[in-house]
Amino acid sequence: MKSMVALIRSYFMVFLADRAAVALTFIVPIFMIFIFGEIFGGSHPESSGIRLAFLNLSNAPVAKKIETTLDSMSTFTLVRTFKNKDGVSVPFDTLSIQDFVRRGNAPAALVLPVDAFTDTSVGLKVCLYYDPRNDFEMQIVQGMLQKTIMQEAPQVFMQSMMRQAEKKLGKAGSASFSNDIQTAVNRHFPGAHFTTDSMLSLATTNGGTSDSVGRGIVKNMVDIRMEQLVGKDISNPMPTRSVGGWAMMFLLFTLSSVANVLIDERRNAVFVRHLAAPFSRGQILLSRYIYSTILGIIQLVVLFLAGTLLFGIDIFSNAGNLLLVIVFAAAAATGFGMLIASIARTAAQASALGLVLILSMSAIGGAWFPTTFMPATIQALSKLTIVYWSMEAFMVVLWRHGGILDVAPYLGVLAGIAAVVTALSVWRFSKGQVLL
Amino acid sequence: MISVQNVTKRFSNITALNAISFEVQRGEFFGLVGPNGAGKTTLMNLLIGQRSPDEGSLTIFGEHVSPDDPSIRLRIGFVPQAIALYDELSAHDNLLIFGRFYGLDRRTLKARIDEVMSAVQLSDRRHDRVKNFSGGMKRRLNVAASLLHHPELLLCDEPTVGVDPQSRNAIFDLLTSLNAGGTTIVYTSHYMEEIERLCTRTAIIDHGMLQAEGTTRELLRLLPFDETLIIKRSQETDGLEPALKQFGDVIGDQDKIELKPRSNTKISDALAVLERAGVMYSNIDWRKPTLEDLFLHLTGRRMRD
Repeated sequence: MKSMVALIRSYFMVFLADRAAVALTFIVPIFMIFIFGEIFGGSHPESSGIRLAFLNLSNAPVAKKIETTLDSMSTFTLVRTFKNKDGVSVPFDTLSIQDFVRRGNAPAALVLPVDAFTDTSVGLKVCLYYDPRNDFEMQIVQGMLQKTIMQEAPQVFMQSMMRQAEKKLGKAGSASFSNDIQTAVNRHFPGAHFTTDSMLSLATTNGGTSDSVGRGIVKNMVDIRMEQLVGKDISNPMPTRSVGGWAMMFLLFTLSSVANVLIDERRNAVFVRHLAAPFSRGQILLSRYIYSTILGIIQLVVLFLAGTLLFGIDIFSNAGNLLLVIVFAAAAATGFGMLIASIARTAAQASALGLVLILSMSAIGGAWFPTTFMPATIQALSKLTIVYWSMEAFMVVLWRHGGILDVAPYLGVLAGIAAVVTALSVWRFSKGQVLL
Repeated sequence: MISVQNVTKRFSNITALNAISFEVQRGEFFGLVGPNGAGKTTLMNLLIGQRSPDEGSLTIFGEHVSPDDPSIRLRIGFVPQAIALYDELSAHDNLLIFGRFYGLDRRTLKARIDEVMSAVQLSDRRHDRVKNFSGGMKRRLNVAASLLHHPELLLCDEPTVGVDPQSRNAIFDLLTSLNAGGTTIVYTSHYMEEIERLCTRTAIIDHGMLQAEGTTRELLRLLPFDETLIIKRSQETDGLEPALKQFGDVIGDQDKIELKPRSNTKISDALAVLERAGVMYSNIDWRKPTLEDLFLHLTGRRMRD
């Protein structure tokens, strides 16, 4: 028994001496729990909300009421203006608001037209323009909008209808009309105990969703005209939307393992032979950088081709721009791999560090969940990740069929990230701390 | 060919090399000897330009060595202390990769691979993966990979660590023939026997400082004795060491007692002491002094203490 205790103690001693193993066992899971907690608003429920372009052209009280309610909801951030070519903020009109969505500035736009609700209307008319670039996000947008409209509209409808009845029939006539309706309904639906008050109450509590009769009444009174502005022609939208994020995550894993190879080389002295050969350190690093970037490009091309074969993702109609994004994404990810190699002293450290960075970048960068689900602080952090900008660039190319000018800003950011992380790793390498 | 002048190299608060100076002439087989941690590998790293000295100057072929100027390395071969080969690749592919580093064209490279494979006696294993090689075979290939570009100067950093005698002899023969062909060789080791066997001139370093430098004969002249008397331990030798100390330095271990007589010692007096103690003549031997003796004399320590 004593010898077994000694053996168990030896396992613990070896385990605790391996800092990477300790980090993988304890620190990485805690960090990931923290990230997930932040994403789902565990400790910071303040979400900046989904950007919803909004245009209210109606003077009807119901339109104003809907606007006020949407404004007060944390789910949405209403955007009422856009910046024109001169950089001046201009209120939306019916065309510019659609263009705003088409350009990917917001996932949806709600327009309450001039005739949203008039004295002669029998129901509310609204227009929802949307870009289902993210399925989860769009389901939330549509669901929340319908719920809001269903909640707010009926009360106004009923009050409006009562006012119109009084206007036409006079107060006594209107009361008589209500009694007649009540009598007629109760005659045809015995046991329903229907009153005009109950009808009003039904409509104003939860949009009538608990009662099939009420639901039918309200539904018929709200006319939500929905128009998909982007991605209508895409045959397989779900894989098209997600392929970029997943491809980037696997690319980062590959380049993280490239970092391990670099560290292993150092250990088995091949790197010393490289240093003794007629190369400068800069040439060695540049060669490694080019090799890793080419490997990353090949991997991404293969992943996208697999996406085409397996899911019918269209990569050929905008192949040139897609290739550009792939090159820039691979270059940025390579810089990231080099940075890991320059920071870590052992392959185990590189693995632990790579795992933390890859999982957190994928999580907060939007590869797993839409960034709009996350609190404002995490959303701000997501813009520091390669995954976020690569995914955005892939969406511009594959989802929006954007051209070189559309994708150029994203390429610029990726190039900037590549420059910064590569410069950091070159600095670390040039200090010589890492090479020997 | 190599000029090292007052070179100092520090790592944090450790001085790995302390004002080292020596020169190596073209065609020499120069040995750098010292115990582990003496500073040999640091000096090698400076010579191949992996690092820069903190103080002093270092020139090869009359040019300053710098990590940022790789051109000089086209004329230098380096055999690292660790085995620097790709385990998953064949011997041939390893040589192909390392040969290309030096810009050899395809035809020349092929001929050079054949040449070095033959020189290290691995021609019949050229297509085997390195991971399947014995330690000695890997060592030989490690040397071969440094010779493809026919370097004028070959720097060998303990190239025979952990090698079987057969492979060691093969490496020695190869290096000797290269030196005979005009290649200047700098060879580090902590095996004095290797240095004595191979090198025409030697520098002894310890704790980053140069202790002595010269040909083996010149170095051995620094010793105050010409030969060592070795007495095999037996019952008769018990308690004999204090009596022998009057004749010179005495070092004893489990098996033997070594007497390094002072130059003014009458050896017959020492032998008389042994005879009186009853030590048999067959238990007495004479040995020529070695660099190991010199190291002990200079530092008060054995090489492998």
